[in-house]
Amino acid sequence: MAGIKIKYTKTERARQKKILKVSERMLPLFEAMEKSLMATINTISERIDEIRDQIEKNRKAAEPWTAVMGDSWVNIDEFISVNKIITKPVDVAGVRVQQYEKVDFNLMPMKEETPLWVDDAIELMQEQLQLLAEIDCLKNQIDLLEEELLDVRARVKLFENRRIPNAKMAIRKIGQKLQDDERLTIATAKVVKTSKQGEI
Amino acid sequence: MVYLMTSLPSLTFGQVPPISIDEFNHDAKSQLSARHYRLLESVDIQKMNESEVKESSIASLFSELQEDLTEIRNARTEKRQPSLGRLPKAVISGNPLQREENIIKWQWEELDTIEVGKTFTFTEVLVYKLKLQLLIRMNSFNEARGAEILASVVDPQKNKEGK
Repeated sequence: MAGIKIKYTKTERARQKKILKVSERMLPLFEAMEKSLMATINTISERIDEIRDQIEKNRKAAEPWTAVMGDSWVNIDEFISVNKIITKPVDVAGVRVQQYEKVDFNLMPMKEETPLWVDDAIELMQEQLQLLAEIDCLKNQIDLLEEELLDVRARVKLFENRRIPNAKMAIRKIGQKLQDDERLTIATAKVVKTSKQGEI
Repeated sequence: MVYLMTSLPSLTFGQVPPISIDEFNHDAKSQLSARHYRLLESVDIQKMNESEVKESSIASLFSELQEDLTEIRNARTEKRQPSLGRLPKAVISGNPLQREENIIKWQWEELDTIEVGKTFTFTEVLVYKLKLQLLIRMNSFNEARGAEILASVVDPQKNKEGK
């Protein structure tokens, strides 16, 4: 409140009352938005953990045969690469984010002499790369939601710590000043009346 | 031929290759005629269809194996049981590593059969090279290396950060 000049007028009091009314109406909305964003971020984080578990599960399941990927005959890099991660825009907790759809792979066709294990390895790699791409999308969603959460939290603080207390204080001070002015006017009028009566 | 075969270390299935392909080629070049060496050089177990060697038993072994591998691949795509010509069904069971090891073992045994009675012949030299290539390949199956390769494809970023 320090440093803010208050106009001690009825118009200003009315304006401050309007600010207070709007702020008190907006605060619960921003608080609800904050809760919703936090809950959504938690849900997405849990999904990321689930996907990570799945990746680890797949890795463990393949562990008994990963030795074959050291095969000196095969350079597996040549067989698979990610061309593009396909996403679609969706609104999550009021924020526009990209939702994972699928991964478009560049797959080299198998030659006759390609060992059979390459088929299994490609299948495993596709699965793992899809899961990792989903994690990347979800992490991006969290980044955007966290940005929005910071913004909403700043607004909540602004309403809680600045707008509402300031408006309340301004209303009180204007009220006191107007009351004082009214008393002074009445007192002055009484003094004038009394002095006029004395003259008569 | 006799000198070359007696100077080469014997090969046992599953062992670490006792010599490298370069060492084998070096020995072969010094002991074989230019014509035989050129023929031997054209033999590569990975590209048997491009080989100049017309040894029928070896050529048919690898062409029939190739056909069976193609059939396994097609059957998998079409979700049916493969109908194999030469490869025993038991060989293709198990996980991908076991399957590959079984196929190599089967190739080894087939090569054993081919070289019976061919002591100190060019066929024996060919079989030796093919067996050495099988051993080198089998020796490249390594858990740590395999896991590294998988990680390099699946999560190259994480792999880079790890380094």
